[in-house]
Amino acid sequence: MTKHATLTVCVLLALAGIAQAQSTTTLSVSVGPEAALTVTTGTTNLTTSSTTFGSNFTGTTSLTYQIRTTKSTGTGTLSVKITTDFAGTGGPSVGTPPSSGDTLQYTCGTSAPATPCTGSVTASTASSTNVLGFGAGANSSKAGNSEAVSWALTDDPVYATGTYTATATFTISAT
Amino acid sequence: MAVRFCPRMRPSRIVRLCRPWPAAVGFYLLTGNGGFGASATATQTLSAALSPIAKLSVPLSLTATQGSQKFSPFTGSVPITYRVRTTPTGGGTLTVQVTSDFSPAGGPSAASGALTFTCGSATIGTPCSGTQTATTSSQTPVLTLPASACTGGGGACSGSDPNSVTVTFTLVDNPAYSTGTYSAGLTFVISAT
Repeated sequence: MTKHATLTVCVLLALAGIAQAQSTTTLSVSVGPEAALTVTTGTTNLTTSSTTFGSNFTGTTSLTYQIRTTKSTGTGTLSVKITTDFAGTGGPSVGTPPSSGDTLQYTCGTSAPATPCTGSVTASTASSTNVLGFGAGANSSKAGNSEAVSWALTDDPVYATGTYTATATFTISAT
Repeated sequence: MAVRFCPRMRPSRIVRLCRPWPAAVGFYLLTGNGGFGASATATQTLSAALSPIAKLSVPLSLTATQGSQKFSPFTGSVPITYRVRTTPTGGGTLTVQVTSDFSPAGGPSAASGALTFTCGSATIGTPCSGTQTATTSSQTPVLTLPASACTGGGGACSGSDPNSVTVTFTLVDNPAYSTGTYSAGLTFVISAT
Protein backbone atom coordinates (compact mmCIF):
# COMPACT_ATOMS: atom_id res chain seq x y z
CA MET A 1 0.00 0.00 0.00
CA THR A 2 2.78 2.36 0.91
CA LYS A 3 4.58 1.41 -2.23
CA HIS A 4 1.52 2.16 -4.31
CA ALA A 5 1.01 5.50 -2.64
CA THR A 6 4.61 6.47 -3.25
CA LEU A 7 4.35 5.50 -6.86
CA THR A 8 1.19 7.51 -7.28
CA VAL A 9 2.80 10.60 -5.80
CA CYS A 10 5.76 10.22 -8.11
CA VAL A 11 3.53 9.91 -11.13
CA LEU A 12 1.51 12.95 -10.13
CA LEU A 13 4.63 14.97 -9.61
CA ALA A 14 5.88 13.95 -13.01
CA LEU A 15 2.61 14.90 -14.62
CA ALA A 16 2.64 18.26 -12.94
CA GLY A 17 6.17 19.02 -14.13
CA ILE A 18 7.47 21.27 -16.83
CA ALA A 19 7.45 20.17 -20.43
CA GLN A 20 10.16 21.74 -22.51
CA ALA A 21 11.41 21.50 -26.05
CA GLN A 22 13.93 23.42 -28.05
CA SER A 23 15.00 23.93 -31.60
CA THR A 24 17.86 25.84 -33.16
CA THR A 25 18.32 27.84 -36.31
CA THR A 26 21.36 29.42 -37.90
CA LEU A 27 21.10 33.08 -38.81
CA SER A 28 23.44 34.05 -41.63
CA VAL A 29 24.21 37.41 -43.09
CA SER A 30 26.46 38.38 -45.94
CA VAL A 31 28.10 41.74 -45.43
CA GLY A 32 29.32 43.31 -48.63
CA PRO A 33 31.06 46.54 -49.61
CA GLU A 34 28.88 49.59 -49.21
CA ALA A 35 29.15 53.32 -49.24
CA ALA A 36 26.77 56.15 -48.45
CA LEU A 37 27.12 59.88 -48.41
CA THR A 38 25.28 62.86 -47.00
CA VAL A 39 26.17 66.45 -47.81
CA THR A 40 25.39 68.28 -44.62
CA THR A 41 25.82 71.75 -46.08
CA GLY A 42 22.72 72.47 -48.08
CA THR A 43 24.15 75.41 -49.96
CA THR A 44 27.75 76.47 -49.82
CA ASN A 45 28.08 80.18 -50.19
CA LEU A 46 31.36 81.33 -51.67
CA THR A 47 32.31 84.69 -50.33
CA THR A 48 35.26 87.03 -50.23
CA SER A 49 36.19 89.72 -47.80
CA SER A 50 38.38 91.47 -50.31
CA THR A 51 37.24 94.41 -52.35
CA THR A 52 40.42 94.61 -54.35
CA PHE A 53 40.44 91.25 -56.07
CA GLY A 54 43.08 90.13 -53.62
CA SER A 55 41.31 87.00 -52.49
CA ASN A 56 39.31 84.19 -53.99
CA PHE A 57 35.72 83.48 -53.19
CA THR A 58 35.87 80.72 -50.61
CA GLY A 59 33.51 78.41 -48.80
CA THR A 60 33.41 74.97 -47.25
CA THR A 61 31.12 72.05 -47.96
CA SER A 62 30.75 69.55 -45.14
CA LEU A 63 29.75 65.98 -45.75
CA THR A 64 29.42 62.74 -43.85
CA TYR A 65 30.18 59.40 -45.38
CA GLN A 66 29.90 55.76 -44.44
CA ILE A 67 32.03 53.23 -46.19
CA ARG A 68 33.06 49.61 -46.05
CA THR A 69 35.44 48.17 -48.61
CA THR A 70 36.22 44.54 -49.23
CA LYS A 71 38.96 43.01 -47.19
CA SER A 72 42.20 42.52 -49.05
CA THR A 73 40.97 43.55 -52.48
CA GLY A 74 38.57 46.45 -52.08
CA THR A 75 38.92 50.12 -52.88
CA GLY A 76 36.79 53.20 -52.55
CA THR A 77 36.61 56.72 -53.83
CA LEU A 78 34.82 59.92 -53.01
CA SER A 79 34.82 62.28 -55.95
CA VAL A 80 33.17 65.48 -57.09
CA LYS A 81 32.02 66.83 -60.41
CA ILE A 82 30.47 70.12 -61.37
CA THR A 83 27.30 68.84 -62.91
CA THR A 84 25.77 72.24 -63.47
CA ASP A 85 28.07 75.10 -64.31
CA PHE A 86 27.58 78.59 -62.97
CA ALA A 87 24.56 79.98 -64.70
CA GLY A 88 24.11 83.47 -66.00
CA THR A 89 25.93 85.59 -68.50
CA GLY A 90 29.12 87.31 -67.55
CA GLY A 91 29.83 85.33 -64.44
CA PRO A 92 32.33 82.63 -63.51
CA SER A 93 32.41 79.34 -65.36
CA VAL A 94 34.10 76.09 -64.59
CA GLY A 95 33.74 74.70 -68.08
CA THR A 96 34.53 77.80 -70.05
CA PRO A 97 36.22 80.30 -67.78
CA PRO A 98 36.20 83.86 -69.15
CA SER A 99 39.88 84.32 -68.45
CA SER A 100 42.75 81.95 -68.56
CA GLY A 101 43.61 80.79 -65.10
CA ASP A 102 40.15 81.25 -63.68
CA THR A 103 39.38 78.11 -61.72
CA LEU A 104 37.21 76.56 -59.13
CA GLN A 105 39.55 74.61 -56.91
CA TYR A 106 39.20 72.72 -53.71
CA THR A 107 41.28 71.19 -50.97
CA CYS A 108 40.37 68.19 -48.86
CA GLY A 109 40.39 67.65 -45.14
CA THR A 110 42.14 64.69 -43.64
CA SER A 111 39.73 61.94 -42.76
CA ALA A 112 40.98 58.54 -41.65
CA PRO A 113 40.74 55.90 -42.96
CA ALA A 114 40.73 57.85 -46.22
CA THR A 115 43.59 59.31 -48.15
CA PRO A 116 42.63 62.89 -49.00
CA CYS A 117 43.38 64.66 -52.22
CA THR A 118 46.76 66.29 -52.42
CA GLY A 119 47.05 70.06 -52.66
CA SER A 120 44.51 72.06 -54.59
CA VAL A 121 42.46 70.20 -57.15
CA THR A 122 40.70 71.95 -60.02
CA ALA A 123 37.06 70.99 -60.25
CA SER A 124 35.75 70.06 -63.65
CA THR A 125 32.50 69.82 -65.52
CA ALA A 126 33.98 67.16 -67.77
CA SER A 127 35.01 64.54 -65.28
CA SER A 128 34.98 63.63 -61.63
CA THR A 129 37.96 64.57 -59.57
CA ASN A 130 39.19 62.84 -56.50
CA VAL A 131 38.36 63.98 -52.99
CA LEU A 132 39.14 60.89 -50.91
CA GLY A 133 40.58 57.49 -51.65
CA PHE A 134 40.08 54.31 -49.66
CA GLY A 135 42.07 51.14 -49.54
CA ALA A 136 41.08 47.56 -48.87
CA GLY A 137 39.28 46.84 -45.63
CA ALA A 138 38.42 50.47 -44.98
CA ASN A 139 35.63 51.06 -42.50
CA SER A 140 34.04 54.28 -41.38
CA SER A 141 32.31 54.64 -38.05
CA LYS A 142 28.69 53.62 -37.67
CA ALA A 143 27.54 57.25 -37.57
CA GLY A 144 29.79 58.13 -40.45
CA ASN A 145 32.98 60.07 -40.84
CA SER A 146 33.15 63.77 -41.57
CA GLU A 147 34.91 65.42 -44.45
CA ALA A 148 35.23 69.07 -45.42
CA VAL A 149 35.89 70.32 -48.92
CA SER A 150 37.16 73.88 -49.06
CA TRP A 151 36.40 75.73 -52.27
CA ALA A 152 38.25 78.61 -53.88
CA LEU A 153 36.86 80.44 -56.92
CA THR A 154 38.95 82.96 -58.70
CA ASP A 155 37.68 86.52 -58.30
CA ASP A 156 38.11 87.79 -61.82
CA PRO A 157 37.31 91.47 -62.45
CA VAL A 158 35.57 90.51 -65.64
CA TYR A 159 32.78 88.81 -63.73
CA ALA A 160 29.64 90.86 -63.82
CA THR A 161 28.10 91.57 -60.49
CA GLY A 162 25.38 89.23 -59.45
CA THR A 163 24.74 85.88 -57.85
CA TYR A 164 25.78 82.76 -59.68
CA THR A 165 24.95 79.19 -58.81
CA ALA A 166 26.56 75.90 -59.77
CA THR A 167 25.93 72.34 -58.68
CA ALA A 168 28.66 70.10 -57.39
CA THR A 169 27.81 66.41 -57.22
CA PHE A 170 29.73 64.17 -54.83
CA THR A 171 29.87 60.46 -55.47
CA ILE A 172 31.18 57.77 -53.16
CA SER A 173 31.78 54.20 -54.20
CA ALA A 174 33.19 51.07 -52.67
CA THR A 175 34.25 47.71 -53.95
CA MET B 1 -30.90 -13.08 -13.68
CA ALA B 2 -29.96 -15.45 -16.32
CA VAL B 3 -26.65 -13.78 -16.94
CA ARG B 4 -24.23 -12.56 -14.39
CA PHE B 5 -20.60 -11.93 -14.14
CA CYS B 6 -18.24 -14.02 -12.21
CA PRO B 7 -18.03 -12.42 -8.79
CA ARG B 8 -14.25 -12.39 -8.87
CA MET B 9 -14.00 -11.07 -12.36
CA ARG B 10 -12.86 -7.51 -12.77
CA PRO B 11 -14.42 -5.48 -15.53
CA SER B 12 -12.29 -6.21 -18.46
CA ARG B 13 -12.26 -6.56 -22.16
CA ILE B 14 -13.26 -10.22 -21.76
CA VAL B 15 -16.82 -10.70 -20.70
CA ARG B 16 -17.83 -14.24 -20.22
CA LEU B 17 -20.76 -16.09 -18.79
CA CYS B 18 -20.45 -17.93 -15.55
CA ARG B 19 -22.24 -20.58 -13.81
CA PRO B 20 -24.88 -21.54 -12.88
CA TRP B 21 -25.25 -23.01 -16.28
CA PRO B 22 -28.94 -23.91 -15.90
CA ALA B 23 -29.91 -20.29 -15.72
CA ALA B 24 -27.94 -19.56 -18.81
CA VAL B 25 -29.58 -22.37 -20.61
CA GLY B 26 -32.99 -21.08 -19.55
CA PHE B 27 -32.24 -17.72 -21.04
CA TYR B 28 -31.21 -19.43 -24.21
CA LEU B 29 -34.49 -21.23 -24.40
CA LEU B 30 -36.54 -18.10 -23.78
CA THR B 31 -34.97 -16.19 -26.59
CA GLY B 32 -35.83 -18.86 -29.11
CA ASN B 33 -32.60 -18.03 -30.77
CA GLY B 34 -30.97 -20.67 -32.73
CA GLY B 35 -27.59 -19.61 -31.45
CA PHE B 36 -26.32 -19.12 -27.97
CA GLY B 37 -27.69 -15.57 -27.70
CA ALA B 38 -26.73 -13.52 -24.75
CA SER B 39 -26.16 -9.90 -24.00
CA ALA B 40 -24.14 -8.33 -21.34
CA THR B 41 -23.16 -4.87 -20.33
CA ALA B 42 -19.96 -3.98 -18.73
CA THR B 43 -18.57 -0.61 -17.91
CA GLN B 44 -14.98 0.28 -17.70
CA THR B 45 -13.48 3.52 -16.55
CA LEU B 46 -10.89 4.85 -18.93
CA SER B 47 -8.59 7.33 -17.37
CA ALA B 48 -6.06 9.43 -19.26
CA ALA B 49 -3.78 11.78 -17.42
CA LEU B 50 -2.82 14.59 -19.78
CA SER B 51 0.33 16.32 -18.75
CA PRO B 52 1.58 19.64 -20.01
CA ILE B 53 3.53 19.25 -23.19
CA ALA B 54 5.19 21.46 -25.74
CA LYS B 55 6.91 21.01 -29.06
CA LEU B 56 8.24 23.42 -31.62
CA SER B 57 9.85 23.53 -35.02
CA VAL B 58 11.95 26.20 -36.69
CA PRO B 59 13.81 26.27 -40.01
CA LEU B 60 17.38 25.06 -39.83
CA SER B 61 18.73 28.23 -41.34
CA LEU B 62 17.79 31.77 -42.14
CA THR B 63 19.52 34.33 -44.31
CA ALA B 64 19.06 37.96 -43.40
CA THR B 65 18.93 40.31 -46.35
CA GLN B 66 19.26 44.02 -46.81
CA GLY B 67 16.99 46.59 -48.36
CA SER B 68 18.01 48.79 -51.24
CA GLN B 69 19.14 51.64 -49.05
CA LYS B 70 22.80 51.62 -48.13
CA PHE B 71 23.56 50.59 -44.57
CA SER B 72 19.95 49.79 -43.91
CA PRO B 73 19.55 46.90 -41.46
CA PHE B 74 19.55 43.27 -42.47
CA THR B 75 16.25 41.54 -41.81
CA GLY B 76 14.96 38.00 -41.87
CA SER B 77 11.87 36.21 -40.64
CA VAL B 78 11.66 32.86 -38.89
CA PRO B 79 8.35 31.03 -39.11
CA ILE B 80 7.91 28.99 -35.95
CA THR B 81 5.37 26.25 -35.51
CA TYR B 82 4.54 24.79 -32.15
CA ARG B 83 2.13 22.61 -30.29
CA VAL B 84 1.36 23.06 -26.66
CA ARG B 85 -0.85 21.95 -23.82
CA THR B 86 -0.84 23.74 -20.49
CA THR B 87 -2.64 22.89 -17.27
CA PRO B 88 -5.52 24.98 -15.89
CA THR B 89 -3.12 26.54 -13.45
CA GLY B 90 -0.09 26.57 -15.69
CA GLY B 91 1.16 28.47 -18.65
CA GLY B 92 4.17 28.54 -20.85
CA THR B 93 6.72 30.55 -22.71
CA LEU B 94 8.57 30.52 -25.99
CA THR B 95 11.96 32.16 -25.76
CA VAL B 96 14.98 32.73 -27.93
CA GLN B 97 18.63 33.04 -27.07
CA VAL B 98 21.70 33.57 -29.20
CA THR B 99 23.61 30.48 -28.20
CA SER B 100 26.53 31.14 -30.52
CA ASP B 101 27.35 34.69 -31.49
CA PHE B 102 28.18 35.76 -35.03
CA SER B 103 31.42 34.43 -36.36
CA PRO B 104 34.02 34.94 -37.65
CA ALA B 105 35.26 38.00 -35.85
CA GLY B 106 35.07 41.43 -37.40
CA GLY B 107 31.35 41.35 -38.06
CA PRO B 108 28.17 41.88 -36.10
CA SER B 109 27.83 40.84 -32.50
CA ALA B 110 24.65 39.94 -30.70
CA ALA B 111 26.48 40.41 -27.43
CA SER B 112 26.78 44.08 -28.25
CA GLY B 113 23.06 44.37 -28.94
CA ALA B 114 23.16 44.37 -32.73
CA LEU B 115 20.39 41.80 -33.12
CA THR B 116 16.79 42.66 -32.33
CA PHE B 117 13.48 41.09 -33.19
CA THR B 118 9.78 41.69 -33.32
CA CYS B 119 7.00 39.14 -33.05
CA GLY B 120 4.11 38.67 -35.41
CA SER B 121 0.67 37.58 -34.32
CA ALA B 122 0.42 34.12 -32.80
CA THR B 123 -2.38 31.62 -33.23
CA ILE B 124 -2.24 30.93 -29.53
CA GLY B 125 -0.53 32.90 -26.82
CA THR B 126 0.54 36.50 -26.51
CA PRO B 127 3.51 37.49 -28.68
CA CYS B 128 6.13 39.96 -27.59
CA SER B 129 5.36 43.58 -28.19
CA GLY B 130 7.70 46.17 -29.58
CA THR B 131 11.33 45.52 -30.39
CA GLN B 132 13.23 43.00 -28.28
CA THR B 133 16.96 42.48 -28.14
CA ALA B 134 18.26 38.97 -28.66
CA THR B 135 21.17 38.36 -26.36
CA THR B 136 23.78 35.76 -25.69
CA SER B 137 23.33 36.00 -21.95
CA SER B 138 19.69 35.16 -21.41
CA GLN B 139 16.54 33.92 -23.04
CA THR B 140 14.25 36.62 -24.33
CA PRO B 141 10.50 35.98 -24.40
CA VAL B 142 8.91 35.56 -27.78
CA LEU B 143 5.54 34.30 -26.65
CA THR B 144 3.62 33.83 -23.43
CA LEU B 145 1.23 30.92 -23.30
CA PRO B 146 -1.88 31.03 -21.15
CA ALA B 147 -3.28 28.42 -18.77
CA SER B 148 -5.45 25.72 -20.30
CA ALA B 149 -3.94 26.28 -23.71
CA CYS B 150 -4.13 23.48 -26.19
CA THR B 151 -3.33 23.11 -29.83
CA GLY B 152 -5.91 22.11 -32.38
CA GLY B 153 -9.34 20.63 -32.09
CA GLY B 154 -11.27 23.84 -31.80
CA GLY B 155 -13.60 24.49 -28.88
CA ALA B 156 -11.60 25.56 -25.90
CA CYS B 157 -8.47 24.78 -27.83
CA SER B 158 -6.87 26.64 -30.63
CA GLY B 159 -8.33 25.92 -34.02
CA SER B 160 -4.87 25.91 -35.56
CA ASP B 161 -2.73 22.84 -35.63
CA PRO B 162 0.11 23.44 -35.36
CA ASN B 163 0.16 26.90 -33.92
CA SER B 164 2.44 29.44 -35.45
CA VAL B 165 4.19 32.71 -34.86
CA THR B 166 6.71 34.58 -36.97
CA VAL B 167 9.73 36.28 -35.52
CA THR B 168 11.43 38.94 -37.62
CA PHE B 169 15.04 39.61 -36.82
CA THR B 170 16.83 42.85 -37.55
CA LEU B 171 20.58 43.16 -37.61
CA VAL B 172 22.31 46.51 -37.60
CA ASP B 173 24.53 47.14 -40.63
CA ASN B 174 27.50 48.92 -39.18
CA PRO B 175 30.11 50.23 -41.63
CA ALA B 176 32.69 49.05 -39.15
CA TYR B 177 31.88 45.43 -40.00
CA SER B 178 34.35 43.81 -42.30
CA THR B 179 32.98 42.32 -45.46
CA GLY B 180 32.17 38.63 -45.29
CA THR B 181 29.52 36.13 -44.29
CA TYR B 182 28.69 35.78 -40.64
CA SER B 183 26.56 33.20 -38.88
CA ALA B 184 25.01 32.95 -35.45
CA GLY B 185 23.11 30.16 -33.72
CA LEU B 186 19.71 30.89 -32.24
CA THR B 187 17.99 28.51 -29.87
CA PHE B 188 14.26 28.65 -29.35
CA VAL B 189 12.88 27.01 -26.22
CA ILE B 190 9.24 26.32 -25.52
CA SER B 191 8.07 25.26 -22.08
CA ALA B 192 4.72 24.44 -20.59
CA THR B 193 3.43 23.72 -17.12
